[in-house]
Amino acid sequence: MVLLGIDTSAKAASVAICDETQLLAEAMVNTKLTHSQTIMPMVQSMLENAHIALNQVDAFAVSAGPGSFTGLRIGIAAVKGMAMALNKPCVAVSTLEALAYNLRGFEGIICAVMDARCNQVYTASFRAHSGAVERLTEDSALPIEELIRQLTQFQEPVFFVGDGAGLCYNNKNVCLFDARLAPEHMVNQSAASVCRLALERMKAEPLAAVGAEAISPVYLRLPQAERELRQKQAAL
Amino acid sequence: MERYLSHSTQDTETIAETYAKSVKPNDVLAFFGGLGAGKTAFIRGLARGLGVKGEVLSPTFALVHEYEGTVPLYHFDMYRVTSFEDLYSTGFFDYLDTGAVIAVEWSENIVSALPKGYKKISLNRISDEEREIIIEESV
Repeated sequence: MVLLGIDTSAKAASVAICDETQLLAEAMVNTKLTHSQTIMPMVQSMLENAHIALNQVDAFAVSAGPGSFTGLRIGIAAVKGMAMALNKPCVAVSTLEALAYNLRGFEGIICAVMDARCNQVYTASFRAHSGAVERLTEDSALPIEELIRQLTQFQEPVFFVGDGAGLCYNNKNVCLFDARLAPEHMVNQSAASVCRLALERMKAEPLAAVGAEAISPVYLRLPQAERELRQKQAAL
Repeated sequence: MERYLSHSTQDTETIAETYAKSVKPNDVLAFFGGLGAGKTAFIRGLARGLGVKGEVLSPTFALVHEYEGTVPLYHFDMYRVTSFEDLYSTGFFDYLDTGAVIAVEWSENIVSALPKGYKKISLNRISDEEREIIIEESV
């Protein structure tokens, strides 16, 4: 089983190929370039460098959200296009769960966080233990303060991972629990983690791999959606 | 704070073209002022000052126009944006901190989502032709 994974859910974009046992090739850029311009050339050069033909790929994996509105659409469109053309299945995974897989092998709580702007984050927490990653909370969009408050219940080390990790780690109330920051080379979304999670899912659930037409971006409703965005008339 | 008095649309464009020299990558320029205040005229001058060739029109229906100058310029119109969901799906947040200059018409509609340190550009109508232009840094 050869799997090609893509992650364009935030600023960094990455692609990877792996089989059941190992990572075969990967590429990433984190230089503010436009994903729509970088992602397909990255796939192409990675395949060429690895001497793997696209039709040797058995399935595609993609992080389907939460994440950047445009980013998610680019990654999913790229995977849909290739999977449809080759008539291969796809696995859509949670961006946050894939982030937690960056730290598989750690021991403690893993809090995956992505910056959703306006002091909000997309987040989910997991427990990493003995090489397994167990989900503790559903993917949700929360004000940072609310997340930090929830994390104070944990008596174990809490590792922040994701592009919102620094934002949370630097919050003034973080001293209320044993907060740690993922190492820099592990902090960002990674297509290799997307592949690894997708393989686990396919092993556990035979229906995890679906037709390309069945995958779509997963946007989370922002808590501030309820709040007034517009300037109050009285304040004008 | 900078204050200018414009006597015509032409004047507004010239003021903006000069102002463009002080604009840096990642700046968010938030425009305040109702219909006919001269927001698009200002952005036309700004675009010229940033080396953009070609036409600048208000992106009322497209929501965002992209221009290639010495730095990329993204021109938003938030007239029809009324919720965070709307704003998220314009891709506005994806354009921040990409090294581009972002000009936002109808910033009144997204005040609480503007990033820290945005430049507030108010265009106030004085008479049919004259406009007071105030540029200030938000806190």
